[in-house]
Order: sequence, then C-alpha cells, then structure tokens
Amino acid sequence: MRFQDAAQDARAITYAAIQAEPVVARAAGLLADATPAQRVLARAVMNGETLDPEGWRTIFPTLFGPNVAPSARERSEAILAVSLAIADRGDQTRNQLRGALVEALTVELLGRRVGPAAVHRERRILFDGVPAEIHPYDVTVERSGAAEAYDCKWGARGIDADVLNQLDDARANAETEEEPLRVALVVFDAELSCRVRLERQTAVHDRTGLVTLESLGSLSS
Amino acid sequence: MTTLAGQARDALAAYEALASLAEAIEDEWTYVTDLYATWRERIEELIDERGSEPVTTLEEAAIRRAVDEIGRISDPHRAIDWLSTFPQIVLVTLGERS
Repeated sequence: MRFQDAAQDARAITYAAIQAEPVVARAAGLLADATPAQRVLARAVMNGETLDPEGWRTIFPTLFGPNVAPSARERSEAILAVSLAIADRGDQTRNQLRGALVEALTVELLGRRVGPAAVHRERRILFDGVPAEIHPYDVTVERSGAAEAYDCKWGARGIDADVLNQLDDARANAETEEEPLRVALVVFDAELSCRVRLERQTAVHDRTGLVTLESLGSLSS
Repeated sequence: MTTLAGQARDALAAYEALASLAEAIEDEWTYVTDLYATWRERIEELIDERGSEPVTTLEEAAIRRAVDEIGRISDPHRAIDWLSTFPQIVLVTLGERS
C-alpha cells in the first residue's frame, strides 16, 4: 500500500483555491474546539437562510442567552460570524466552502493526535495489482502500520454507495496486503441522521467508522 | 403557562410541512420520510419525558424564530438540509437546557 498525490486536473485546482480561502481555516480552528451545540449553530447558519445575526442569537438561547459565560459566548459569537461569512456566498461557492471546511476540520483534529506532518489531503491509495480509484481520498493519515483514510461530508445526504464502496475497498485491499488501514466517514451532521442514511445503504460499511457532529473530538484523541 | 410539550408540538407541525416540501425530491423520498419519522419520534420522546415542564420566554422566542426560519424555505433540496438541522435546534433549545 502506498499513497500518491491526486492528479492536478481542473477540478483539483479549483478546489485547492476553495480550500485555501482564509475563512475555511478560521472556521475549522474555531469548530475544532466547539461544543456540540456550537457546531449545530454553525451547521444551521451555513445551511443558508437568514443572514441576520440577531435572529440566530434568538434561535440559540443556550449559546447567547444572559446566563451564558462570557468566554463561551465570545466563542459562539466568533462561530456565528465565520458561519455567516460562509453563508453569505452564492449557493455553489457556499457548498464548496462547506465541504472544504469539513476537510480542514478533520485535518486540524487529526493533526492534534498524530502530528500535522502525517496528515495529507487529496491522496490516492495504491495497491499492487489493483486499478487505482479515480477519486482521491479527502484526508489520509500516513503512518507505517497505522494508516487512516477519511471521506468528509457536510451532511448525511452525502453518504452514498460510491463513497462507502471506495472506503471499504481500500480497507479490504490493505487487509490483503496485511497493512492495517482504518477507514471512516466524517460527517458534519447528527449521528441520528447519518444512521438513517446508512440503514438504507446496501454497500458494505460494517467496518467503516462514522464520525459525526457529536463525536468529532474522537479524531483528536 | 407555555409548556415544553406545546412548544415541541408547534415545532413538529412546522417540521411536518418541511418534510412535505422535501418529499418533492423523488430520489430522496425514502430518506426524507425515514428522517422525518426518526426525528419526530425523538422529539415525541422528549415530550413524553418532560412535556409538562414550563419553558422560558427566551426558549419560546427561539422555537418561534426557528419555525419562522424553516417556514421561509421554498427549495426542496435546502429543505432536506434543514430536515436534519431543525430538530437538532429544537433539542439544543428544549432538550439540553440547564
């Protein structure tokens, strides 16, 4: 098993520009240490409805109410501001930014556990005698004897057979080469929604991990 | 007195309308109906457990504003995004309050 950079085609170049937008790193940094409720706030705001911050403060009294500690409120305000900055983009750009954010958040959290040097983006995984997948894996951890591969999604709706097959194929091919490879989905959505989505999927996923809005912290610990 | 049950039922009524809008995406019909049923059940559990509790004016305003927000949605694709997000907001507001 070996890792390789994805081809620098037009899609990859466009997407790299999206990933490099400062708002993506800013949001990922804030959300890495956010509470589950703050992550729900970010998801709701970035779904893209009202851009009125006061409206969001009203909707989340547990984050902005008078009894909230100043430090917690300050972080919620920062998350609200960065989420509104992403929500305020056109539909297509917003969708791309949201995807890039989930990847950046995954990279940030994994880096805390394994060190930033071991974490990579947009990599293909190659196995002897097996045709390479066209699509790269969003995030990989490349360590001898403890490799990991992740596909990142904004919402549970993004889970489909192609994604599940690609992850499980990598795991199975690695097993054939007697190399451990942990594979998982990272979804910026509630676990319950993801379970509903997965329940209807016939693609093999019993050995594919699931990291959701509630359990993002598990990536770093 | 406004109770948690009353607020949660208002939220469920709005949620049902949101699900009806999302059902327009035929390829996602099964997911939409399953998602709706699952989250509705979760909120009904909350009503069973704590429905008689009073809610604060802040909580009442929060649910009302969130209901207004999903009431403005006209795009069924966006409705699917909200079908997962809205009940999480309701639970953060009513289910996780201190």
